[in-house]
Amino acid sequence: MTNKIKEFRARYNLTQDDLAKKVNVRRETIVFLEKNKYNPSLKLAYDLANVFSVTIEEIFIFE
Amino acid sequence: MKKSLIVFIVSGLVLISAGLWFFTSANKFSPVDLLQFGVILLIVGFAIFVGFKRLSNVKRGEPVEDELSRKILQKTAATSYYVSLYIWVFLIFLKDRVKIDSEELLGFGILAMAVTFGISWLILNFKGIKND
Repeated sequence: MTNKIKEFRARYNLTQDDLAKKVNVRRETIVFLEKNKYNPSLKLAYDLANVFSVTIEEIFIFE
Repeated sequence: MKKSLIVFIVSGLVLISAGLWFFTSANKFSPVDLLQFGVILLIVGFAIFVGFKRLSNVKRGEPVEDELSRKILQKTAATSYYVSLYIWVFLIFLKDRVKIDSEELLGFGILAMAVTFGISWLILNFKGIKND
């Protein structure tokens, strides 16, 4: 599974720190997500989609 | 915050105990004792590093723990338990072949378990976890 978190973050002009605070996780978790080293829980995926006002499928791509 | 304080308190107690051990038997220190002392210092250093990492998260306004850190901790515990079984089997194998006290063997086993936990944690923190 890959994701477009970095793209969306750039589009919304958010730093990793900002995004981490918005979804209530540590900055390291955002780093791991962006590097595709971690697949998030459904709740975190939902929270991320909420921050960017898109659906989960638009952020996470199943391969 | 509470857990970070506990980490610092336990690290301090271990350091004081190791210091007392070192200063009361400084003349009788064998290379094996020095190795054990070094491993204890390494473990305490690791614990202090984890404590400071948690404190910096609190200062930045981030949670101390989140789903990734909890998963890493769970997988670290599972991996280090699995590896430590082999360590104990190896130590029992060694006991029959090398002259070694039971207390020293226990000490080695416990230190090896702690080191295994630290190494597993570092590897998983570097590699990350994928739900494949």
